[in-house]
Amino acid sequence: MKKFVALFIALAFVFGLTAPALASTPGELLIWADDNRIEVLNELVDDFEEEFGVEVTLVEKNFGDILDDLAVEAPAGEGPDIFIGAHDWLGELIENGLVEPLDVPDIFYDDFEEVALDAFTYREDVYGVPYTLESVALIYNEDLVSEPPETFDEFAAIVREISAEDDKYGFTLPQPDPYHTYPYMTALGGYVFHYDEEEGVYDPTDIGLNNEGAVRGLEMLNDLYADGSVPYVDFDTMEGLMTTGDLAMTVGGPWLQPAMDDAGINYNIAPIPTMEGEKPQPFVGVHGFMISSFSENRVLAQALLTEMVATEETMYEIYEAEPRPPVHLGAAERVADDEIIQGFLESGAEGRPMPDIPEMAGVWAAWEDAISLIFTQEQDVQPAMDDAVEQIREAIE
Amino acid sequence: MGSLDKLYLLKIALLAIFNALAVWSAIILFVQRNYPFLAVVVIGIIILNYVYLSAKRYAAKYIVPGTIFMVLLVVFPLFYTAYISFTNYGTGHILDKQQAINRIEAQYYRPEDPREFDFKAFKDEDMEDLKLLFIDQEDESLFLGIAGEIESVSRDDDRLIDSTGDGEIDEINGYQRLERGDIIQNVAVIEQMRFTYNDSQMRMRDLNSFALYRPSYEYDEERDVIVDLRTEEEYKPIEGRFTNEEGEYLSPGFRTFIGRENYQELITDPRVSRPFLRVFVWTFQWALLSVFTTFSLGLFMAILLNDKTLKLAKFYRVVLILPYAIPAFISVLIWRGMFNPTVGVINRILTSIGLSAVPWMHSTFWTRVALVLVNLWLGFPYMMLLALGALQSISGNLYEAATIDGASRWQQFRHITLPLVLVALGPLLIASFAFNFNNFNIIYLFNEGRPAIAGAQTPAGGTDILISYTYRLSFESGRGSDFGLAAAVTMVIFFITAVVTWFNFKFTGALEEVKENE
Repeated sequence: MKKFVALFIALAFVFGLTAPALASTPGELLIWADDNRIEVLNELVDDFEEEFGVEVTLVEKNFGDILDDLAVEAPAGEGPDIFIGAHDWLGELIENGLVEPLDVPDIFYDDFEEVALDAFTYREDVYGVPYTLESVALIYNEDLVSEPPETFDEFAAIVREISAEDDKYGFTLPQPDPYHTYPYMTALGGYVFHYDEEEGVYDPTDIGLNNEGAVRGLEMLNDLYADGSVPYVDFDTMEGLMTTGDLAMTVGGPWLQPAMDDAGINYNIAPIPTMEGEKPQPFVGVHGFMISSFSENRVLAQALLTEMVATEETMYEIYEAEPRPPVHLGAAERVADDEIIQGFLESGAEGRPMPDIPEMAGVWAAWEDAISLIFTQEQDVQPAMDDAVEQIREAIE
Repeated sequence: MGSLDKLYLLKIALLAIFNALAVWSAIILFVQRNYPFLAVVVIGIIILNYVYLSAKRYAAKYIVPGTIFMVLLVVFPLFYTAYISFTNYGTGHILDKQQAINRIEAQYYRPEDPREFDFKAFKDEDMEDLKLLFIDQEDESLFLGIAGEIESVSRDDDRLIDSTGDGEIDEINGYQRLERGDIIQNVAVIEQMRFTYNDSQMRMRDLNSFALYRPSYEYDEERDVIVDLRTEEEYKPIEGRFTNEEGEYLSPGFRTFIGRENYQELITDPRVSRPFLRVFVWTFQWALLSVFTTFSLGLFMAILLNDKTLKLAKFYRVVLILPYAIPAFISVLIWRGMFNPTVGVINRILTSIGLSAVPWMHSTFWTRVALVLVNLWLGFPYMMLLALGALQSISGNLYEAATIDGASRWQQFRHITLPLVLVALGPLLIASFAFNFNNFNIIYLFNEGRPAIAGAQTPAGGTDILISYTYRLSFESGRGSDFGLAAAVTMVIFFITAVVTWFNFKFTGALEEVKENE
């Protein structure tokens, strides 16, 4: 009998898994958001329910899980109406038929930073209400670097000087990481995929990772690796060196701030030094709210986003919950006295949105391999990047 | 007797609740069109009822639940993987065909005259029927929308009544105007309403307005093609995508059966075949080395700990088991930091005692060495635990007799300890081999399968094993995730490990015969 009861409970549990989960239902809104945004939405939802008389349910997800979960749950009828995500998911989301373009008056877009809207535009449509952008800048330890370098030559001189001391490093990047290395490739003309202004999409057949500018930029940076001034380390090691005060400069984003604040590091940020007079352009990643194409409440979902989320107040609260550069112009104005946030915001405004076409998935591995070979001095820049581009072409064919 | 009846009643009651649950799940699975799972549930519940309601079948009462679980949790996923391996499931192909058609047909464009209308909604007293009044945002002309038809009306039409006299129309034919709150309550209905206006479709844009749209595509069911309504171009379903003659396709694509194409790709795609042999050989070396090193060190430690003259044996045992108690996810990352060639502690020690730095992580050979060492650290405590148990079961008489016969300690180990331990642990060594053959975690966490190989035409790293390389191929390259290809690779790896395991079992089976003959 005991066995039977145990079996009963176990099987009931298994069947419980097939129970209908929360799903988009007409007249009710379901939102997927990550832990930082959900706090803000929680308060918002009460107001929305009161004003609109519409029930809203929030489900907390890991940011990184949303893309994959959506692909499984939305077609099964269990997806949300609104979800949070990164702009570079767009290509995959559209190819999978999971995201619905916004359909709002143009005036709505006047409140947002241009680069953020560009990022959320795919062909002629805008697919999301952006709330923050992610970008990198030069982060330096003020105790080791009094005046941030403006040109690459000044930068290299400082790096060599500091690295000559025992157990101190002038500069390092997390490697192998194309994301952090990209600014050094763009300054003199490198790019991943050529952006077709007319069509509003990237051309996956035109790859600029091994062009003259990209190679020249990498060579300049590699000189510092080659003479041992810059150690080849991964992200964790880089963060460790930064928080112990042994590293003078790095390239990074707001995600480094908490660890540095905890360690009491006296840091500041500056633009990445120019190369031969040209400005390096980092990748820009934009996060925003999107509407599922499986939503049964397109109009309501859009109303929630335009009337409640895309306001200065909400966008400011999102910033307060997690201080990242706000891309709503009103909210950005309100954080004007946060120098660091403004610095990242400026760096982002100069940057380039990360390509959002699905072909991007085929780029990272080959690119990572190439820069790992370059900076560990196993291969020269040009052949390494040529190989990488060849691999990328083969992968996305 | 009475208590037996009560037990019986309880059993019936539980079975009834359980059946109800099963029927409920079956309905949901049916609605979700999840037929394979539905079949399993239906067959399972029939067998279960038969077994538990029948007076006999005692043995089955114990075996059936286990079997059902095995089918659900082992056999079903296996067959599902096999099924996926024959489809193109992956980025761009996650919807079924009907869903993809629905999505494509839902794509609209705005006509050249992108008129927009404010609207007011009116409802009858029974709150069942809706009438809409549209106000053109440009010239403020009025239109009435009733039952899908649109009709131009003038402001002083008899049907429009402004009962409060504030210039706003409050009533149409006895239908009362809805406030914003009521519109929101009825938004699901209004959103579905479509009106025809100058060849365009008028539908709800937001809570305040309607706008003109034209559908971009139409599906012709008879000919199974999608027609672009602007250019008359036709898109035919080819390999899970509606494709036109120029090879351009519409998004989204759909999931479809593509036969052995994924398997064919494994053979013909140079990105797979070029590095395959190298990766395959290293996978074997890796699995063999992992088992050999962890088993050797584990056994050696176990023999030391088993020595009764050893003091503080318990203390050593605890210390030696520690690596096993720390989650591998954490310790691998720590080792990764220690092996860092420039700032890692291992090279610092090496250089401080006058040796030269070793290019861990940068050279294939040394990364492999580091991986085997890390895996040794992670894996030997497990082997030690097993060997300790096996050693205790070896009778002391054997050693006594051997000592009398004049056997050396090495001979005792070689001819008594090792064979007997191997017999006991053989199957576990095979399991360990299969585990390390697919040990994605350590390979990926330690160096992501790197170092990269200079001049390689494919992104297969120097320490990539089959499973980590196929992960790269299926999820980190091409156009996103390719679950179909990943499933095909999984099947191949499954067969490789199955064959290896089978050979191993034959081998250990032979060992057991040796034991019986002794």
